[in-house]
Amino acid sequence: MKSRLKIIHWIIFLWLLVVIFRFDLIIDYLSLILSYISLLFTDTFSAFAVLRFSFVDGSLSTLLFLLIIPMTLYFRKKLRFITGKLNFSFAFLVSLIFVFLFAPIISNENPEFSKNLSVTKLLPPLSSVKQIELKSDKGQKLSEVETFRVNSESIIKPPFNNNIMFADSVVISDQVVYYQKNEAYEVERDLLINKAGIPVIEEKFYLLGTDEFGRDLFSRLIYGTRISITVGLGAVVLSFIIGIILGFIAGYRGGLFDILLNRFTEMFLAFPVIYLIVLILALFGSSILSIIIVLGISGWMSLFKIVKSEVLSIKQKDFFSTAELVGLNKLQLLSREILPVILAPVLVNLVFLFSNVVLAEAALSYLGLGTGNTYPSWGSMISSGQEYITKAWWLIAFPGLGLILTLYTFNSSGRMLGKVFNPRIK
Amino acid sequence: MNRVLRSQFVKTIFIRLLSSLLTLFLLVSFLFFIIRLSPGDPTDKYVSAKLGSELSERIAEKFSLNQPVADQYFAFVSNIFKGDLGVSYNYRLSVFEVIWEYFSFTLIFASISFIIQISLSILLAIRVVRKQNKRIEQISTNLSLFVYSIPAFVLGVTLIYIFSVHLNLLPISGLKSLDHDELSFFPRIFDQLYHLILPLITLSVGGVALFYKYIKESMDEIKNHTFVANLRATGLDENLILRKHILPNAIRPLISVAGVELGIILGGTLITEVIFSLPGMGRLAIDSILSRDYPLVIGCVFTAGTVMIFANFLADLAKLKIDKRMIKGILN
Repeated sequence: MKSRLKIIHWIIFLWLLVVIFRFDLIIDYLSLILSYISLLFTDTFSAFAVLRFSFVDGSLSTLLFLLIIPMTLYFRKKLRFITGKLNFSFAFLVSLIFVFLFAPIISNENPEFSKNLSVTKLLPPLSSVKQIELKSDKGQKLSEVETFRVNSESIIKPPFNNNIMFADSVVISDQVVYYQKNEAYEVERDLLINKAGIPVIEEKFYLLGTDEFGRDLFSRLIYGTRISITVGLGAVVLSFIIGIILGFIAGYRGGLFDILLNRFTEMFLAFPVIYLIVLILALFGSSILSIIIVLGISGWMSLFKIVKSEVLSIKQKDFFSTAELVGLNKLQLLSREILPVILAPVLVNLVFLFSNVVLAEAALSYLGLGTGNTYPSWGSMISSGQEYITKAWWLIAFPGLGLILTLYTFNSSGRMLGKVFNPRIK
Repeated sequence: MNRVLRSQFVKTIFIRLLSSLLTLFLLVSFLFFIIRLSPGDPTDKYVSAKLGSELSERIAEKFSLNQPVADQYFAFVSNIFKGDLGVSYNYRLSVFEVIWEYFSFTLIFASISFIIQISLSILLAIRVVRKQNKRIEQISTNLSLFVYSIPAFVLGVTLIYIFSVHLNLLPISGLKSLDHDELSFFPRIFDQLYHLILPLITLSVGGVALFYKYIKESMDEIKNHTFVANLRATGLDENLILRKHILPNAIRPLISVAGVELGIILGGTLITEVIFSLPGMGRLAIDSILSRDYPLVIGCVFTAGTVMIFANFLADLAKLKIDKRMIKGILN
C-alpha cells in the first residue's frame, strides 16, 4: 500500500474537523478569555475569586488549539515523527493526544450533566431531543464580574443547570406545551428565551447516545480518555523514576541492597499484582492520585531489571570508568553516561508499561475500585453498561472499542519502536 | 549424572528453596506493614467512638495493639506460618476454610484455561509456520497483537451480549443451573462445563495470542539455525523436522517465563470471575474488599502469593529437568 499521507496531514485534518464543528465554541472561549483579561485589570481581587479549574482548562486548551498548527509547522524539521508515514496506530495515537489536550473544545457538554431522566435516559446513538431553555433572571444591570460569571456558565457547561429542560416534543400556542413521555407540561412563553418573540427550541443531538442517567456518552468518552491518559502518564513517570534510580543503585553498588531488591522484584513479577493493588486501594481508599501512585509503584520491576543489567555491563566499559575518574558525581554519571545508552530499551519498555497501566486502570474501574465514582472512566462505564446489556449495546461498545484501540495502538507502537531501535527483531 | 553435578544440583535447589521462603517472608512482612500503615484504628471497626475510650482500650488490649510493634509483627508472622489466618467477619468461619472452598474452583478453572492456551497456541503456530506464506504470517502477527489488546472484561461482556442476550445460547453468569441439585453426577459436570464455556473463552483468548506470539517468534528464529538446514539436507520430512526438532526448542523460552504467565492467568481469573460471577477466589477477594472483611482479604492475597511462589519454584525445577544447562540461570 503506497500512501503519501503523513502524520502532519492527519493533524491538520483533525484540526480542521474540530474547527468546523466547534467554531462557535472556540470564538466564545476567545471572547471569554478577553473579558477575563479586562476583568483582571479592572477588578483583580474578584477576578481571582471567580477563577475556576474548568475555565483555566478550557481557555488553555483553546489557546493551545490555536497554536498547535503553527507549532507543528515550525517543528516539522526537528521532530521527524510528524513527517513520518501515517498508519492506523499513529493516526489513533495523534487522535488520542488531541482528545487529551482539547477535551473541553471537542465535547460541548458536561460529562456529569443529567436532566429529565424520563426523556434522556438510554437514548441510542444519533438520536436527538428537544431542548428548551428558561430565561435566567438577569433583568437588572449586572456588574462586570457577574456578567463574566453568567457568560462563562453559558459557555463552560456546568454539571447542574436548572434552566435547561428536555422534551420529546414541543407545541407552541398561547403557552408552550412540552411532552415528556406522554405527560404534558405547560410553561409561560415569556419565561423562555425568546428570539424575535418566538421561543427558541433547540435540538439536542447525542452522537453516541446517553447512559442510564441521561448523560451524554460522547463527552463522557472524551473525558474518560483524559482520565486514562492522565493516570497512564503519571504512573509511567513514577515507575520510570523509581526504576531508574533503584536500578542504578543496585547495578552500581550491588551488595545487600541488590539482593533484597532482587527478591522484592521477584515477588512482584511473580505475583498477580492486581491482588496487591486491590488490597492497597481498599485499605487506603481510591482517588486518582492513589491509583497513580499504586500503579506507578507496581510497575517499576521490569524497568529495574533492564536498567540494572545495562548498568552492570556499562560499568565495565572504558568510557564509564573514564567518566568516574574525571570525578563526575553519581547524578552526572546517571544522566550523562548511562541514560543516553539505555534510553532505547527503556523507552520501548515505557510504551508497553503505559498500555499495561491503562488496562489496569480500566480493570480497577470495572471492579469498582477505580476513579469511576468521581470521574467518568472507561472501565466504570463498561461495568455500569453491563447492567443494561439487554437494552443498550452502545454503553459497552464505545468505551470498549476506545479501550481496545488505545491498547492496540500502544502495543503496536511499542513494537514498532522496538524494531527501530533493534532491527534484528522481526 | 556424576556426583559433582548432582551435589551442585542439590545445592542449587536448596538455595532456590531458601530464596522462595525469603520471598514468602517478604510478602508477609509487606502485608503486615501495609495493614499497619493504613489509616484508621482497627478498634474503630468494633467500637463506636461514642461508647467511650475505656471500651476501645479494652479491645485494643485484647487485640494486643498496645504491645510494641516488633512483638505484633512477630505474632503476625508466626500466626501466618502456623496456618492461622484468622476468622472471616462475613462467613464466621476460619479464613482457611473459606478460601479452600473457593480456591479449588479457581485452581481447576485456571488449569483448564492454561491447557487450552498452550495447546491451541502451539497448534496455531505450527499451522501458520507450515503454510510458509508471508502474507498469512503478517496478518496473523497483527491479529494476535490486536486480540492480545482486547481486555478480558470487554471481551467477556461482548461475548455475553452476543451469545447470551442475542442468540440466547449460553447462560449469562453463575456456575449452576436452577435444577442443578436434582441432576445426577454426569449431567452435573456437563451443566458446569456448559456454564464455563464463555468464561473459558474470555480467560484464554488473550493468553493464546500471547503464547502464539512467543512460540511463533522463537520458531522463526530456530528455523534459521544450521541444524535445521542439516536435517533438511538429510532428506527428513519437513513436518517431522517441525514437530520433533523445531517445536521442542521453541517451547523452551515459554517454560522460562512460566511463572509470569501463571501470574497473568491468576490475575485474569479475578476479572473473569467477576464478569461471570463465578464462585472463585478472585471474586471472593473483591467481595471481601468491598465488604471490608480484612482477614479474608489478607488471606486471599497471601494464598495467591504463596501459590505463585510455589509455582515458580516448580517451574524452575521443570526447567532443570528439561535443560540441565539452565542451572546457572535459576539462581538469579
